[in-house]
Amino acid sequence: MSTAAPQARPNVPLPPSSSQTIGPFFPQSFFRPGDNDLTRISAEAAPSTRGERITLRGRVTREGGVPCVNAVLEAWQADAGGRFRHPADPEWHLADPDFLGWGRAWTDAEGRYEFHTLLPGGYAAGAARRAPHVNLAIMASGLMQTLTTTLFFPDFPAENAADPVLALVPEVLRPLLVADPDGMAEGLRAFRFDLRLRAARGEETPFFEE
Amino acid sequence: MDARHLPDRFDPWPRELRPAVPIEGYANTFTHLPFQPPLRRAPTRTEVTGPLGLDRKLPCGDSNLAMPAPGRPALGQLIHIAGRILDEDGRPVRGAVVELWQANAAGRYFHPHDQRDAPLDPNFIGTGRVRSDEAGRYGFFTIRPGAYPVPNPPTWWRPPHVHFSVLGPSTLSRLVTQMYFPGDPLNPLDRILMSVPDAAARERLVARLVPPAEVGLGWLGYTHDIVLRGRAATPPLP
Ligand SMILES: [Fe+3]
Repeated sequence: MSTAAPQARPNVPLPPSSSQTIGPFFPQSFFRPGDNDLTRISAEAAPSTRGERITLRGRVTREGGVPCVNAVLEAWQADAGGRFRHPADPEWHLADPDFLGWGRAWTDAEGRYEFHTLLPGGYAAGAARRAPHVNLAIMASGLMQTLTTTLFFPDFPAENAADPVLALVPEVLRPLLVADPDGMAEGLRAFRFDLRLRAARGEETPFFEE
Repeated sequence: MDARHLPDRFDPWPRELRPAVPIEGYANTFTHLPFQPPLRRAPTRTEVTGPLGLDRKLPCGDSNLAMPAPGRPALGQLIHIAGRILDEDGRPVRGAVVELWQANAAGRYFHPHDQRDAPLDPNFIGTGRVRSDEAGRYGFFTIRPGAYPVPNPPTWWRPPHVHFSVLGPSTLSRLVTQMYFPGDPLNPLDRILMSVPDAAARERLVARLVPPAEVGLGWLGYTHDIVLRGRAATPPLP
């Protein structure tokens, strides 16, 4: 192959680098305790307490319901007030400074994952309103492109019914994107959200692309 | 924080840049790929934003994989990989978290799931993480990884490659990719590299050799730029 390099000149469009699979060997040493805790901006920082602490957990399965082992999940969500600490949010200066909103987990031998976070807030998006939600990115051996989906909460049926992203999903499949109450975990409410990467229609998790 | 440098326009991935799946001989591309195509949505605020200052959560600075401790060099050809993280406007992406992992010189990963009968090198773990600087630059000292076979029939050999995971300023700029070495005869036989339909896009996954004067004699130098999704909705004045 030849050795053409991108021309790194401002304002001249460059095509993005192609995505490739994460493969089966994403290093486990990249994970530290607390990486799956969205409420801390670093392992040493105190967790944010501006909101209801919750646990999100579930399983990732592939065709046949087989556990998806060593998959990497990344979560991203607004704070309890529905704001992101990012300049693309017009109210980012009001965002919770102690809340990271991002976490990374990986699946064990049964395909299980877990996140610790705060119940997110919804926000106004033009004429519409986003219901409280968490975006999840899934990377695994064999996925040449990251899969992306959005998790909603059973606490907010009216907000969910008005959410413009959930509205893109055929009505019969929408419950697949709403997490289930899953009892308590160390005194906190837990929610269960299973990801079925490849399954029969009506069971497979709906994914999105932008 | 300087919002002027953050991308706020995300065009769909051009089809010819996306790997064509499933890939014959790579079983996981059959069993993990959803039956249903993804639903297309216009990016909302949740997708356009992303974690900034992530180096506090994911400590950076691990850039020398080849010499984990003084006097204990890893086995293999010592190499230096450096380049820039750019957006689609060619602007440097500052503060991106760049993670790299790779096999050792014998083509074996330091990972419990790699059970292949090839030697482990006690001086090579094969993982690093750095933060891109003000000019979007990153760099790693490492060794040239070995090729390794894909075990399931029909067997083929993965060419020497380095895995990259890049966390940029938006969740839409998140990228997992691989870097290949120029001129390797296994490159055109690799089903994973060749799954990218566009030849020019494949070439952009291949690093370039740089002259010794630019790296020093101790290291064989490669340069490799990585372009993340995202442009400025309003182009900055030239
Ligand atoms: Fe690999």
